[in-house]
Amino acid sequence: MALPITLGKEPIPKLLKEYAVPAIIAMTASSLYNMVDSIFIGHGVGAMAISGLAVTFPFMNLASAFGSLVGVGASTLLSVKLGAKDYAGAQKIVGNVVMLNIIIGICFTAVSLLFLDPILYFFGASDNTIAYAREYMQIILLGNVVTHLYLGLNSVIRSSGHPRQAMAATIVTVVLNAILDPIFIFGFGWGIRGAAIATILAQVVSLVWVIRILCGKNEVVRLHRGIFRIDSKIALDSLSIGLAPFLMNVASCFIVILINKGLQTHGGDLAIGAFGIVNRVSFIFIMIVMGFNQGMQPIAGYNYGARQMSRMMEVFWLTVKCATVITTVGFLLCELFPRLIAGVFTSDEELLTYAIFGLRVTLVMYPLVGFQMVVSNFFQSIGLASRAIFLSLTRQLIFLIPMLLILPNFMGIVGVWVSMPAADAAAVIVAFVMLMRYKKKHVDPLIAAENNKDINQ
Amino acid sequence: MIITIGRELGSGGREIGRRVAERLGYGFYDKELLLEAAKKSGLAPECFEKADERTERSIGTGLFGMRFPFLGDGASSIVPGFTNDTIFQIQSDTLRTIAESEQKGVVFVGRCADYVLRDMAGLLNVFVSADEADRVKRVVSYFSCNESVALDKIHKVDRQRASYYEYYTSKDWGEARGYHLCLNSSRFGVDGCIDMILRAVDECIAR
Repeated sequence: MALPITLGKEPIPKLLKEYAVPAIIAMTASSLYNMVDSIFIGHGVGAMAISGLAVTFPFMNLASAFGSLVGVGASTLLSVKLGAKDYAGAQKIVGNVVMLNIIIGICFTAVSLLFLDPILYFFGASDNTIAYAREYMQIILLGNVVTHLYLGLNSVIRSSGHPRQAMAATIVTVVLNAILDPIFIFGFGWGIRGAAIATILAQVVSLVWVIRILCGKNEVVRLHRGIFRIDSKIALDSLSIGLAPFLMNVASCFIVILINKGLQTHGGDLAIGAFGIVNRVSFIFIMIVMGFNQGMQPIAGYNYGARQMSRMMEVFWLTVKCATVITTVGFLLCELFPRLIAGVFTSDEELLTYAIFGLRVTLVMYPLVGFQMVVSNFFQSIGLASRAIFLSLTRQLIFLIPMLLILPNFMGIVGVWVSMPAADAAAVIVAFVMLMRYKKKHVDPLIAAENNKDINQ
Repeated sequence: MIITIGRELGSGGREIGRRVAERLGYGFYDKELLLEAAKKSGLAPECFEKADERTERSIGTGLFGMRFPFLGDGASSIVPGFTNDTIFQIQSDTLRTIAESEQKGVVFVGRCADYVLRDMAGLLNVFVSADEADRVKRVVSYFSCNESVALDKIHKVDRQRASYYEYYTSKDWGEARGYHLCLNSSRFGVDGCIDMILRAVDECIAR
């Protein structure tokens, strides 16, 4: 990955488009994936099934946690090795990723399957929803290793020179899932289990394809015998890098449990289902913003490094604008047409009522949330990781947990919903203050100097 | 010939490298490499100095490649960010370019040069260490600090360089089998080390 000097020269809008579009496509694809499942389950199986599905969300966070425990560190190490053209080293890392994924995946599956019912009750299941949650999770857990291998190896082919194939694999998975879902749910009458089977089957197909690519003779990172021996140093290195994202995902697992529990206590099963719908809808806008963020990172980072502060701020504000447009569209859709949107997932009147209320309240702060996310990523891209982490924790943890613990006691179910935009609002203020203080102290003087130089020349 | 020198802080490795280069009429790159890399990439030299021979295995790098809370899978990092790894990458490219363009020969100090240039012909990898007492003495006179500060510095820099080297090369820093020639400047003196490197160069050329 050579860093093109064009980052310091080309027009900012052109650069942002070039870097953000692929990221946005991949992000949107993966959120569509989840959305499609929910839609077919909602209409094909029923309102209770939507709640059963929502009960399994913390499980997904937990599975992601273990996935990132291996994946994040390994992909960091891999890109270093590929950059140094050390292909033997890169292959060793990939071999280790595969083995670690298999070992951790199997352990995770075994433990989870063994204690599936108590875990699901802990996650907010009731006697009405547990059957759906159990049926769905059994299949997903059995396919857990496939999921992680597919995600892991897909990012390997992306970084080893096949970004197009990587994206194609993602899209194939989404489309295949969307085709198989109705066949299994409506055609074969497999219920919620059908959705799970479609998910795993789609991933199996993509995994096979990805493995075939990686077995090619001329691949720089080729899968072959001899690379699959666990090297304790590589394993420890990648696990230590992956620890932080692991903990973040575990934390977010607990947040979802808190939300589920709150909704369960104050509203009942269908309220959890409503959160499932709200989550799916809001996630798609969040993911698009994250795509923009990913596009911004190298551009802001390079121009910061080159001390071209006005270009750095230009890309920052442009990203803020794009992100705000996206989140505002989300806000408007959910405030103006909540029935239409929730109706995509279910036709159950009670669930609809909950979901409409949830959408309206949860997305209230969305026009500003885009800004908050971009600020956090901006700090990350100029190397101020601790501020970036703090900011992303404010919205999802630091402000959210106390709100979730306190508000529902006074406001009941409304309190659970209100917690989310309230935490958003607080986080936006913090982000704004931190950005302005940084800008005044570190950016403005440099921009002034840049301008003076231009005048003098 | 390309001579790379790994060294402990206060071992005199830098001086040895500089004088070997002088004697042979080779180019010499220690911190100079960073300036070269900065010029080539258009980035400010501070970026390279800040990242120099240090790993930032920060939580941040990992955190932003992760899949985000409130669900999900699939959203792994797609566009590479701008991190110390990027800086290392640019620096390594510069190293390679310099090694290819210096006709006569070149001496590099530090920056994983032995690993970055591992495929190039005519490579001689040297590691210079020294006894702790001598290292402290040298650090005290170089930074004009007192002995306990020097000792702390030595331990800290050793740790940093080792983790930097191990992170990027997956090899052990200062372990004999990773180098061609390992010298102790307390045992042979700086001049002695220079002579031995020059003899090793002759030997390599003769083969």
